Amino acid sequence: MDLATEESPGDARRAAVPVRRHPGTPDTPYGPSLSVVVTTVASDAHTWNLVFLQLVLEELGHRVVNLGACVPDELLVAQCLGTRPDLVVVSSVNGHGFHDGLRLIGRIRACPELADTRVVIGGKLGINGVGGRECRDQLRAAGFDAIFEEGTGILEFRSFAKQLTMSVST
Amino acid sequence: MSAAAGSTRSFGEFVARAHRAGELVVQPRMGVSSPKAMRDGLLATKQANATTVGTITLDSYTRMGDDETARAALASGADLNGYPIVAHDVATTRAVLDGVAGADFPVQVRHGSPCPEDIFRALMAAGMHATEGGPASYCLPYSRTPLCTSIQHWVRSCALLARLRETGIEPHLETFGGCMLGQLCPPSLLIALSVLECLFFRQHGLRSVSLSYAQQTNADQDREAVRALHRLAAERLPDVDSHVVIYAYMGVYPRTSDGAARLLTEAARLAVQGGAARLIVKTAAEAYRIPTFAENVEALETAAAAAAAERRAPLVGEVEDTGIYAEAKALVDAVVDLDPDLGTALATAFRSGYLDIPYCLHPDNAGRTRSYLDGTGWLRWSRLGSLPIGHLVRPTGSTELTATGLLASLSYVEHKFDDASLDEYLKGARPMAQIHDTGTARRPLPGSPGEHLSSPVTRTVLTIQHRILTAARDFLCGQGFIELLAPLIGPVTDPGARGAKQVDVDYYGHRYKLMTSAILYKQASLTAFEKIFFIAPCVRLEPLETASTSRHLAEFHQIDVEVAGASREHIMELAEQLVGHVVQEVLAHPRGALERLGRDPSVFADLLTQSFERRSHADAVSDLRAMGHPQNPDAEIDWAGEAILSRKASKPFFITDYPKGSRGFYDRESLDRPGYLRNFDLIAPEGYGELASGSEREHDYGTIIARIRETGENPAKYGWYLQMVRDGIPASAGFGIGLERLTRYLAGLDSVWQASAYPKIPGVVAP
Repeated sequence: MDLATEESPGDARRAAVPVRRHPGTPDTPYGPSLSVVVTTVASDAHTWNLVFLQLVLEELGHRVVNLGACVPDELLVAQCLGTRPDLVVVSSVNGHGFHDGLRLIGRIRACPELADTRVVIGGKLGINGVGGRECRDQLRAAGFDAIFEEGTGILEFRSFAKQLTMSVST
Repeated sequence: MSAAAGSTRSFGEFVARAHRAGELVVQPRMGVSSPKAMRDGLLATKQANATTVGTITLDSYTRMGDDETARAALASGADLNGYPIVAHDVATTRAVLDGVAGADFPVQVRHGSPCPEDIFRALMAAGMHATEGGPASYCLPYSRTPLCTSIQHWVRSCALLARLRETGIEPHLETFGGCMLGQLCPPSLLIALSVLECLFFRQHGLRSVSLSYAQQTNADQDREAVRALHRLAAERLPDVDSHVVIYAYMGVYPRTSDGAARLLTEAARLAVQGGAARLIVKTAAEAYRIPTFAENVEALETAAAAAAAERRAPLVGEVEDTGIYAEAKALVDAVVDLDPDLGTALATAFRSGYLDIPYCLHPDNAGRTRSYLDGTGWLRWSRLGSLPIGHLVRPTGSTELTATGLLASLSYVEHKFDDASLDEYLKGARPMAQIHDTGTARRPLPGSPGEHLSSPVTRTVLTIQHRILTAARDFLCGQGFIELLAPLIGPVTDPGARGAKQVDVDYYGHRYKLMTSAILYKQASLTAFEKIFFIAPCVRLEPLETASTSRHLAEFHQIDVEVAGASREHIMELAEQLVGHVVQEVLAHPRGALERLGRDPSVFADLLTQSFERRSHADAVSDLRAMGHPQNPDAEIDWAGEAILSRKASKPFFITDYPKGSRGFYDRESLDRPGYLRNFDLIAPEGYGELASGSEREHDYGTIIARIRETGENPAKYGWYLQMVRDGIPASAGFGIGLERLTRYLAGLDSVWQASAYPKIPGVVAP
C-alpha cells in the first residue's frame, strides 16, 4: 500500500510564516500539537489512506479532523474557514488527485484567510502512477506547500509526518 | 456453459438449481465502457469451463449519478472504468445482451451506488432483473450521501425492482453488507448487516435475495461465520428464496500470481465448506490493474476446479462455535427491535451506535468501534463503542491498532499468501520467476537528486549510514587496524565480479580500470601494515536485469578488511563482531532513527545474542535441493536460492567452502579438501541477501599463476601484483562488506538505492 513518498521542499515564503500556537494545547515531543484536517478530493472514495494518516498524526500528538471520502471542495474550504487548521493533508489514491488537487488548492488560496495555511497533497496523483516533476511543479506553483507521490511506500510517509511536525512547528 | 441451465427467469432460481446439482456458481467482476467489449467479456464468462453467471460492473461516474460526464467521456472516445448503463441507450445494452444473457446465463449488474433508481430503471429496461447493493453497504463505505437519503433511495429502488414480479419475472437483489470496507470488519457485524439489508429488501417487496460474506483473514473464523450466516438467514428469512454468496478477499491482494491463486482457492473451499451457492472471484492481476477477460476466465476456472476438488474431498472435523452466531444474532435482534420499519431501524441503529463500522469515516457512522487481527489472523474487537454485544464480547482495549499495526493488518493476507507461494516454490511446484515477476515491475526509482537528498527518509538513512561508518571505524581502529585510502583506478582490477562489466579509463594512453573491488591492493597493503581496512568505492556495470533486484548498484562502497596471517575462522569471527558492534551502535545512536523508518529494533535480538550459524556451501545446496530448488552444486548459490535461505533466517549466517571455479583466483583452495575454497559469504536474514564476501587468500606465486590460467586469463596483465607476490606478500584473510547493503538491512529499506546519496541503479542515468 503506497501512500506517499518524497517530500518536496516547502515554499520558502510560506515556511517563514509562524504557525499560530493554540493557547493551552499540549506539546508533542517535536513541537506544539497541531490541528490537522485530513481529507481527500471530491471524486475519491478511498478511506484506508485517510485512516492511516489520522493514526500517524494522532500518534505524533496532533488533533485530527478526518473528513472522509469524496470531500467536495466547498466542504473543505468551509471547514478550513471555520476551524483555521494549522495543516491540511490531502490524500488521494484514485488517480484524479492531480486534477482535483489543482482545482482544490485554487479555491483554498482564493480565500485571503487561508493564503498562509499549510496544505500538502500526496498519494497516487496521476492515473499512470507517478506524475513526474512537471506535475509536482504545477501543484507547488498552484499553492501546495509539499507534494508526496506514490513510490517508495509507507516508510517515507511515516518519516515525513514527523519531519513535517518539526518543520511546521519551528 | 452451465450444466444447471433451465427455463427459469430468475437469477435466484438459476443459482439454486446449480447448488442442488452440486455446482458452485462462479462470477467475475467485469465492466468496460465499450458495448462490443462488454459483450465479449460476457461471452468469455459464459464459455468458461465452469458454472458461471455474468456481470456488468458500472463505471464510477454512473455510480455517482454523473451520467453527463459519462456521456461526454463516451463521446470523446475515452475509456471508463466500467459500463455506463445509464449513458448508453437501452437498445445498445439490449444488443450487448442479445443471444448472450438468458435463462442459462443470467447477468447481474454491479454498481456501488447509494442512489440507484436510474441504474435500476436502465437495467430493467434492458431486460435484466438481478443487481446488488444496499442502503447502508453502498452508502457508508464509499460516499458521503447521508444514510437517511440513501435509505429513501433504496426504498424506492427496491419497489421499482419488485414491480418486475407483476410480469412473471422474479427479480433478485444481493446485499453488499458482507463487505463493509473489505477489511477489518469483524464477521458478526458483516453477517448482521447482510441479514438486515436482506430483511429490508423483503420489506420492500423482493422475494429472491442473496446474503454476502467477504473472505477475511482466518479460514476457521470464516467457516464459522458462513455457517452462522446460513443459520440466521434460515431463521430470519424463511419465506424468501435466498442463498449465500462469498466474495474472494476484498482487501490488499497478494502480489504474486501464485499467492493470488492460493487465496482464491481458499475462497472456493470456504464457499463449499460453508454451503454457499455462489462465489465472486478475484484475479492475480488485481493487485496491479483491471484484469483482462482471459485473466477473469482463468480465475473462474481455478475457483470452479478448487470447489470441485473440495467437494470430492471435503474437510472433515467440527467447526467450533466461538460465538459469532450469538454476536450476529444479538446485533440483528437489537436493530429490528428499534422500529418495525427496517429503514428507520437501520438509521436509528447507526445514529445510536448499535451498528458501527470500525474505521468507517462516513459522518453517519458513529466511529467508536475498533478492531484488530490477533496473531492467527482472527478478527477481534478492541473497542465496542455502543454495539449491543457487550455481554458476549470482552474487547481488548490494549490491542488498539497503531498506524504501523493498521498497515500490517491491511497487508496480512497479502503477506501470508505471498509467503505461502514461496513455500510452494520450495516444494518445486512453481518456478521462482512466476513468484517474483509481478513484484519488481512497480519498484520505484529515486526522484531528482534534490528531491532524493532532501527527503526525510534519505536523510534518516544517511544518518544511520554515517553511524555505521563511524562504528565500523571505531571498532577496527580499536583493534589496531590502520585505515588506508583505496585507489580508484589501476591497470587491472578484481576479476571476480561475475557478470559485471569493468570500466576502462584512458590513463595517458594506457587502458586502466575503475576498481570493481580493492582486493589486490588489500593484499599488497599488508606489506606495510598487518591489519588494514579501506572504505572503498567500487564500480561494476551490472547487467540491466539487476536494476529490479533491489540489491544492486553500479557504484557502491565496501568496508574492506584484510589481516595478515589470519585464518578464515578468525576473519569470520571478526566480521561477526564487527556487524554486532555496528548494530549495537546504530540501535543506540541516533536514538529512534530506525523507528522513524518503521524498522522494529527487536528484529536484531537474535543477532545481538546468538552467534551466527556457519554452514558449508555443500550443505546449503543439499538443503535447497531437498526443498526442491534446483541449485547447481558447482556454482555460487543462485539469487533465488539465496533469497530462500535468507528469508528463512532470523539473523545473519555464513555460507563457507564454495567450490573452486565459482570465485576469483585469490580465494585460497583448501589443502584438506581440494576443489573447495577457504572462503565464505555472510548472508543477511529477512530476504535482504548477501552482505559480505571473504576468504583466506592465496599468496603462493606458482599457485596464483595456475589459478589465473585456469580462469582463462592472461597472467601478464596482473604484472605489478604478481611481482609483489613473487617478492613475498604475507598470508592473509579478509572480507568486504557492502556498505549500502548493510545499511539497507539495518534500516529495513525496500531497495538498496535508498541507502545511497547518489544512487546509480544499473542502466539508469543518474548524477
